[in-house]
Amino acid sequence: MMKLLDITEKYGKATHKYPFEPYKVATNFRGKPAYIFDLCIGCAACGIACPSNAITVQFNADQSKLVWEFDCGRCIFCGRCDEVCPTGAIRLSEEFELAVKFDKSALIQRGELDTQFCTECNKPFTAKRLIKYSFECLSKANLGEKRLEEAASYLNICPTCKKNATVTNFTSGKEMVIE
Amino acid sequence: MKCDKFIEALGARVKILEVTRQYEDQVTALVGLSDLPEAVRFLYYDMGGYLSTMVANDERSINKNYALYYALSMEGGKMFEGDEIAQDEKCFVTVKVLVSPENLTYPSVTPLVPACVWYEREAYDMFGLIADGLPDKRRLVLSDDWPEDLFPLRKDAMDYRYRPDMKEHYNEPEYEFLRPEGSGIIDVPLGPLHVTADEPGHFRLFCDGDIIVDADYRLFYQHRGMEKLAENRMNYDQMGYLAERVCGICGYAHAIACIEAAEKAINLEIPARAQAIRIICSEIERLHSHLLNIGLACEVTGNYTAFMHIFRIREYSMKLAELVTGGRKTYGNVVMGGLRRDITGVEIKESLRILKIIETQVEEVWDAVMDDKRQIKRWKGVGVLDKQVARDFSAVGPNIRGSGIKRDTRYDHPYDFFKQIEFDIAVVEGGDVFAREMVRYLELKSSVSIIRQCFELMPQTAIIVDPTFHVKPENFALAYVEAPRGENVHWIMQGSAQKVFRWRCRAATYNNWPSLRFQFRGNTIADAALIVCSLDPCYSCTERVTVVDIKSKKSKILTNKDLKDFSKTLKNSPMKDLR
Ligand code: SF4
Ligand code: SF4
Repeated sequence: MMKLLDITEKYGKATHKYPFEPYKVATNFRGKPAYIFDLCIGCAACGIACPSNAITVQFNADQSKLVWEFDCGRCIFCGRCDEVCPTGAIRLSEEFELAVKFDKSALIQRGELDTQFCTECNKPFTAKRLIKYSFECLSKANLGEKRLEEAASYLNICPTCKKNATVTNFTSGKEMVIE
Repeated sequence: MKCDKFIEALGARVKILEVTRQYEDQVTALVGLSDLPEAVRFLYYDMGGYLSTMVANDERSINKNYALYYALSMEGGKMFEGDEIAQDEKCFVTVKVLVSPENLTYPSVTPLVPACVWYEREAYDMFGLIADGLPDKRRLVLSDDWPEDLFPLRKDAMDYRYRPDMKEHYNEPEYEFLRPEGSGIIDVPLGPLHVTADEPGHFRLFCDGDIIVDADYRLFYQHRGMEKLAENRMNYDQMGYLAERVCGICGYAHAIACIEAAEKAINLEIPARAQAIRIICSEIERLHSHLLNIGLACEVTGNYTAFMHIFRIREYSMKLAELVTGGRKTYGNVVMGGLRRDITGVEIKESLRILKIIETQVEEVWDAVMDDKRQIKRWKGVGVLDKQVARDFSAVGPNIRGSGIKRDTRYDHPYDFFKQIEFDIAVVEGGDVFAREMVRYLELKSSVSIIRQCFELMPQTAIIVDPTFHVKPENFALAYVEAPRGENVHWIMQGSAQKVFRWRCRAATYNNWPSLRFQFRGNTIADAALIVCSLDPCYSCTERVTVVDIKSKKSKILTNKDLKDFSKTLKNSPMKDLR
């Protein structure tokens, strides 16, 4: 018993004043994913990568907005979203104080992005920002002016119309028999 | 090849219908139903096997039958010096039988090999397969009011989200405890919440005065249906993350066991660096788990000072985990083909510094605890696990090593990086609480040395393989990991579309519970909590309890403190404002 008391004396106080002083985490700590709305383009890569379905990306009821939603209560801090996000809109942070008092909705974070409607069939298909982002990427890709214009015209139409347009362009609208 | 010797010997004993090889050290022999008990008994007792797991499987879509796989780890009986199989011959032999869906019956192995008892009870709960001759036919996993004819793991039984209605409590069938004969015996219930573990489990102690004559228990109050969930909605990317949530302490061991089973089924070799990091993380887990258990073993006996010191040291091991994995729990890291996060040079340097602190301070505190005669007296001679009982029930981990049996998966079936690492296997004679805690202390020291060796030897390779592998439906394999509590065994049969067909996860403690009643016998009630604690059962639930009043269907969340206060004072019943 006395030996134990000696150890106490040797090492002194082991506690911190937390929460009155901050608790320092390791450099590569995996804390709550922090979301920067301004960077998010609504590509939904994070939603697909997230193993626990903490992130969902869906249209709202009247389809006017593409809603990015993150439920921290489901998050397992694996960092997959961080890995796949093309713009760095979601990054693991050092934040770990996530307890809420019975109101679980406090754990939910949302971002609403303007919807892009298809210029051909008027169906909503993605977020405006994604189109803008794609165009910027294309502009940097060293394409000829004509080629860029052509690519841009495809950007504003939904995948179904895109498919149809491609077929029409290639076949000049005529049905052909493939030998 | 490995295993052939055992198959040959088995073939001389019973008729083997088919032999398949899953991995270099794993073969499966299909035998006829009537030969099953003899085949398992022969491998278990005559050839020196231990039961690693038993898997029931609904293979009606494959071969029109149900199947049972009794997986035995062939390593030698280890009851005396030299009673062990040569290191390069150790392997896993699985005995498989097919059970027809018409009569659903197979001969029970339990009368010959007691270790099978829980597995065979579970096979009934989950698949409705009846073990003919099984002495104990009570439910094991499912609750007592679960519908009689609903067997959840049958492929056509139910949606994984289905929850049958609860029965009103007065209609709920009574769970029958196995009572010993004799007059003057009183029942002492311990639970449904264990005092130090905060773990749901109901122990019924049958006492004569202060002495426990016999004990029985009802567990699985928190069965979560993970196997069903994984089969229905998880892909391999998600499964590892689910597996690590099997346990709140040794989750990493489950994650690697689960993922390695899937890797072994398609013979996928992972890079050496990933292997080494897997070992490092699982040894860190052992550090904090053993420190937790030694601390609690002091706490239950009232030695708070030692408990506090041990937990102070434990904090360093949590820091270590935070440093190398980014979280205080080593979660979210293991994927098929390797790992997602590497360790940097700076992190290694800092880790070595922390390891040194852990090493010195553990020694100091242990020395002080050993100096304390009263502490030792509470541990010595208590909760003895007899060597033969341990052998019969295939106990694992510090539980069996404390009974003088040298069983350690890291040594018997070295996985991952363990082939290149040297360490001492902690074996202590005695079988009491003291022996088990001693094993844990020795393992703390060997873990520190294993982590150091890994840091030193780990090569600069990638940490993940090129993900172009394909899973193969109907391939299956076992994977085994020595978790802090003993061997965790996962068995996976792959299915189509990136899903598992069957995932059987056997946590270490599953093999330790059945022999617990023998450990209780002859001890006093005051030691009951200590005995359970020294087994180190999984502490996966948190510090909260939800109380549901069955009549009013209202529920309330109680903090640990409320409950403890209530247990002490019996005032302010937490149930009163629910009525
Ligand atoms: S950290 Fe993992 S679980 Fe959390 S939101 Fe990102 S991907 Fe999902
Ligand atoms: S930009 Fe990043 S955060 Fe936004 S949807 Fe895409 S992956 Fe998610």
